[in-house]
Amino acid sequence: MRIEVAYARPDTQIVIPLEVSDGTTLAQAIVTSRLLDRFPDIDLNVTKVGVFGKLSQLDAPLREGDRVEIYRPLLADPKAVRKQRAVKNKPMKQKGTDGECGE
Amino acid sequence: MLEAIMALSVLAGLCGLLLGFAAVRFRVEGNPVADQIDALLPQTQCGQCGYPGCRPYAQAIADGEADINQCPPGGATGVQALAELLGREPKPLNPENGVEKPKQVAVIDETTCIGCTLCIQACPVDAILGAAKLMHTVIAQECTGCELCLPPCPVDCISLVDVRDKVETWRWPYPGAPIGAATRRVSSPSVAA
Repeated sequence: MRIEVAYARPDTQIVIPLEVSDGTTLAQAIVTSRLLDRFPDIDLNVTKVGVFGKLSQLDAPLREGDRVEIYRPLLADPKAVRKQRAVKNKPMKQKGTDGECGE
Repeated sequence: MLEAIMALSVLAGLCGLLLGFAAVRFRVEGNPVADQIDALLPQTQCGQCGYPGCRPYAQAIADGEADINQCPPGGATGVQALAELLGREPKPLNPENGVEKPKQVAVIDETTCIGCTLCIQACPVDAILGAAKLMHTVIAQECTGCELCLPPCPVDCISLVDVRDKVETWRWPYPGAPIGAATRRVSSPSVAA
């Protein structure tokens, strides 16, 4: 079956198409793609992986057409970003009547 | 008299069989015109034409429901190509559908992305790699610059940047566009002067 293994950074994005046998797991696909040779700093024990935006396990079997994705952690703290935005938007909200969508 | 009737009925029967065989043997799946139109469309899947994607728009043109000037990413060159294929007069792009822009790709500001996956769900071509609470990254070679990921982003961390031709991506421009561009370039100073 045909699958893809993908890894993306702002400067380089790599999508490797692979032909693998049925029942191949995410880990096997990643090893077959030799992606880790190009990016030795990826540690599969720590890094999260998934298929098409959904987190998955390394030993989960793949299906036809899947794209195995190796993710990177966030740089921003979502709570902090939301707080910043809240502070930034406060004057706007007070100006409006009381809804969130002041615009 | 009887001979003539017999001969004609045998002939009609043979023709019927031949047509029946041809209908089964040379059956065409789908509408080939829609396929040809779809091949000319830019496959940005941006929906600016008013249809959910390039294929439905191609089908609508083939069915005569849509006009050929509703695709801003295809631009004047695209309208020209469609006009040639369908044997119609090319016409200027319908401003209701948008304006022609240079090719762009989306870029995510990593310092503000909160990993909400909303842009991933909006992307019609699966060009964004990421998962919940993990970094989202645009795969530049798959991004069509359709701008559909901009509105859902709650932190406005996606921006579109112009794609500059590199040695690997440069191609001879399609005929039509450069001539128009060249005449425009030639004509505009003369108008100014």
